[in-house]
Amino acid sequence: MTNNRFLRSTALLLGVLASSLIVGCNGSADQDPGTGGGTEGGGASAEEKVLHLPMRTDGPKSLDPVRGSTVYDNRASSFVYETLIQYAYFKRPSDATALEPLLLAEMPTVSEDGLTYNFKLKPGVFFHDDPCFPDSKGREMKAEDVIYSWKRMADNDNDPKSWWLMENTIAGFDKYREEQNAAEKFDYDAPVEGMKVINDYEFEITLQEPVYRFLYTLAMFQLAVVPREAVEMYGSKFDLHPVGTGPFTLKEEDWVQGKSMVFNKNPNYHECYYPTEFTPEDIEKGFDKDQGKRLPLVDQVEVTMFVEDQPMWLSFSAKDVDYTQVPAENFDDAFTKRGRRSNRTFELKSDYESEDISWASVPLLDFIFYGFNMDDSLIGGYDEKSKKLRQALCLAMDWDERNDRFYNGINIIYDGPIPPGLAGHPEGHNAPESYRGPDIPRAKKLLAEAGYPDGEGLPVIEFYTSRGGNNAEQVEMLARHMEQIGVKLDIKLVDFSTLIENVNTKKAPFFSFAWSSDYPDAENNLALFYGPYESPGANHFNYKRDDYDQMYEKIRTMPPSPERLKIVESMRSMLLEDAPYAGSMARTRFYLINPRLKNFKPSEDFYNWVKYLNVGE
Amino acid sequence: MWAYVFRRLIYNIPVYLTIIFVVMALLRVNDPVYAFLGKNTTQEDIDRRREEFGLDRPFLTQYGEFLKRLAFFDFSQESWSRRGRKVSDEIAGAVIPTLSLTIPALTLTSLISIFVGMISAFFRGRNLDRGLVFFAVLGMSISFLVYIILGQYFIAYLPQKYFESHDMKETWGSVWFAIQGYEPGLQHWFHYIMLPVLISVIVAMGYDTRFYRAVMVEETGRDYIVTARSKGATQSKIMFVHMLRNALIPIVTRIMITLPFLITGSILLEMYFNIPGMGKTLITAINEKNLPIIETFTSLFAGLFILSNILTDVLYAIVDPRVRLT
Repeated sequence: MTNNRFLRSTALLLGVLASSLIVGCNGSADQDPGTGGGTEGGGASAEEKVLHLPMRTDGPKSLDPVRGSTVYDNRASSFVYETLIQYAYFKRPSDATALEPLLLAEMPTVSEDGLTYNFKLKPGVFFHDDPCFPDSKGREMKAEDVIYSWKRMADNDNDPKSWWLMENTIAGFDKYREEQNAAEKFDYDAPVEGMKVINDYEFEITLQEPVYRFLYTLAMFQLAVVPREAVEMYGSKFDLHPVGTGPFTLKEEDWVQGKSMVFNKNPNYHECYYPTEFTPEDIEKGFDKDQGKRLPLVDQVEVTMFVEDQPMWLSFSAKDVDYTQVPAENFDDAFTKRGRRSNRTFELKSDYESEDISWASVPLLDFIFYGFNMDDSLIGGYDEKSKKLRQALCLAMDWDERNDRFYNGINIIYDGPIPPGLAGHPEGHNAPESYRGPDIPRAKKLLAEAGYPDGEGLPVIEFYTSRGGNNAEQVEMLARHMEQIGVKLDIKLVDFSTLIENVNTKKAPFFSFAWSSDYPDAENNLALFYGPYESPGANHFNYKRDDYDQMYEKIRTMPPSPERLKIVESMRSMLLEDAPYAGSMARTRFYLINPRLKNFKPSEDFYNWVKYLNVGE
Repeated sequence: MWAYVFRRLIYNIPVYLTIIFVVMALLRVNDPVYAFLGKNTTQEDIDRRREEFGLDRPFLTQYGEFLKRLAFFDFSQESWSRRGRKVSDEIAGAVIPTLSLTIPALTLTSLISIFVGMISAFFRGRNLDRGLVFFAVLGMSISFLVYIILGQYFIAYLPQKYFESHDMKETWGSVWFAIQGYEPGLQHWFHYIMLPVLISVIVAMGYDTRFYRAVMVEETGRDYIVTARSKGATQSKIMFVHMLRNALIPIVTRIMITLPFLITGSILLEMYFNIPGMGKTLITAINEKNLPIIETFTSLFAGLFILSNILTDVLYAIVDPRVRLT
């Protein structure tokens, strides 16, 4: 009896506690988070079109274009800022490098010597309404704004992440940078030899020498146009308070760090229309339905950050977000694989098809490799012995096995440093000069010729890679591949900062790294082996050959042509023979798309495509 | 008592200074500028950044300056990786989401665990006790991550999917547990925070229940319990009045030890449920080598631990008259 009373009173107390908690906290949960209305200032009415997009990170670091460097900075900046030209959204994949004017009235004209570019701005482009302008009304963008925005790249106080895009490019710009950073105050009004404003809508840029990548540079978000008033008013807060010309605006309070960003349609967005030319495949997918409509097509975009994949995957499945990248661990849930290796095809499983979920895949401009430090006393060098040692190591590796085991076999394995889709990439992903394995007998032969038969006499090689993901398992596989020819690795599984420090200071003889191309030109990848860019620059291999450097300097100035392609192929062959790296692999990203999302043709090379997206019923 | 508190504070100053010294030194073993700037940089950038961050100065100078700022509660230092945001902005933005998760979790866990511990002790050796101990051990044996993944899938996702497929999302989807997310305001609390709280309670209950059971079992054998029974006191009076009061010291200790975790938050829960709290902020800062955030957070956490220890001793004296603070 007493026991029962005790139990009853305990249960009663617990019940009261639980019910009061639920009632007290649930009183007014009346808003559907799915409408994006949860954020103050960012609410959308039921009639408005709202996109729900995921971002697989804890968020961008900065929305100041000159300080941006990551793909997430790029994605977020592309909502609010614009560049002079842009990649054509619907011309891919047949013409992945097609560019078209965005803030320009027409594509720039280039002088015959390739040195002078004339730009004509599109009239009627206004900055977002913002308190930095008189009466908070955004003013029209002028040629001076473009010049000012580019000059910000030179100002060290802005911590520009991508000065290299402008380095040795515009006449007098490097000198201007040096002088102004040495001066007491950076003078944005000081002239630059190669920058000339003709009138409010026209300006001219003169290059030091013809630089072909300059056109691609103009489409990169780091060169987006910003108003001087906003930079001067907000100071360091400008990173959090973007004011651009883009199709969407972002209020400071609508960016909850590490959680979400809510972008609203820019009511003053300049005249920009949905394309009218499509491929038959695009028409089949219904991408032509909105042709000719004024952009952007939606009223609000809610971007949710996901640090972990499971909540992103579940949110997609519950239709809380409109698309998702397919995480590796969920790949088999969504797709059925058929065929082997290069003949592999993928089919969406019926569960997804029955819900009208569609899919798309995008090959990325990746160069994933294992790098050798050419300055290392054991593994580096250009003599026959060290070259054969590196070639043997390359031949012992099985990249297809790595792809199958760790990437569901969806990546592309290829020879050379130039990713698929770019001129200079070998046909069928295979180059005749390749030392890509697995070819154990040949690896053993070369190792013996290098003076280490079956690895005898070869010291243990230090291999550096970062912790995280399945890197520990991947290096286990690499160590097994090496053991097949008698080579022993001393695996240094370190945090990313230690990896970078060891690579930058040339202490890591053998390391795992990757590179994603900044623009779709082989020159960008071949620059990774350009002598003057040695560590801590992008040439982590510390590869230095005068003949290679001369060829690189030549292709830098050349527009695409058979002659240029020939040089690119020679450089590729040189790298394959010298083997300053082992590789290569490019990721393929798979996307699942909920039926309400329209016009989504994913790209990871550029990110200003949100303005084309629409939502169905 | 105040003299005791003051003395303990003084004694702990060297400990606190040592903690900060060690943390700052460890963060500088590998050059943080390399990690911060990433793969492709120039020596010029590295040098400039080192100077800008003050890392070119002697370590003791950096240490002294940090202590000076801390002494004046000056958290105005700018985040390295998010320009325009001060350390104080990061703390202010993260502390409420964390507390909205940890305070209910700690309260519920403590209350439920104490009750269950008492029931278990009361029925010691019987099937009910065995059952409760079994579930407590089960609760603590399974990884936190498993609870999160299963909870997110079965308790949040499946019902949400059901609402979505039956056109009930508008009415029920915003009331039932969310798969992830956070919105400030009490009206959103149940939707976003209740599930992480429940998961936290289930995991913590395993440890706490076993602990409180052991405490209660020890108390049930004491003379004063026999005396109370002889006097005819009811079981509930014995449990809630006599036993609970005498068991307060270990209970208070356990709760006080947990208090600093209210601020540190739960890293896994915040990461998986996308709650922009202190744990998530700290992990992001560690990944980015954002030293101002890491150093300030660890100093605050260390301070909280020291304060909670002192507070525990003071509470001993309050709940148990036999304890003297000397």
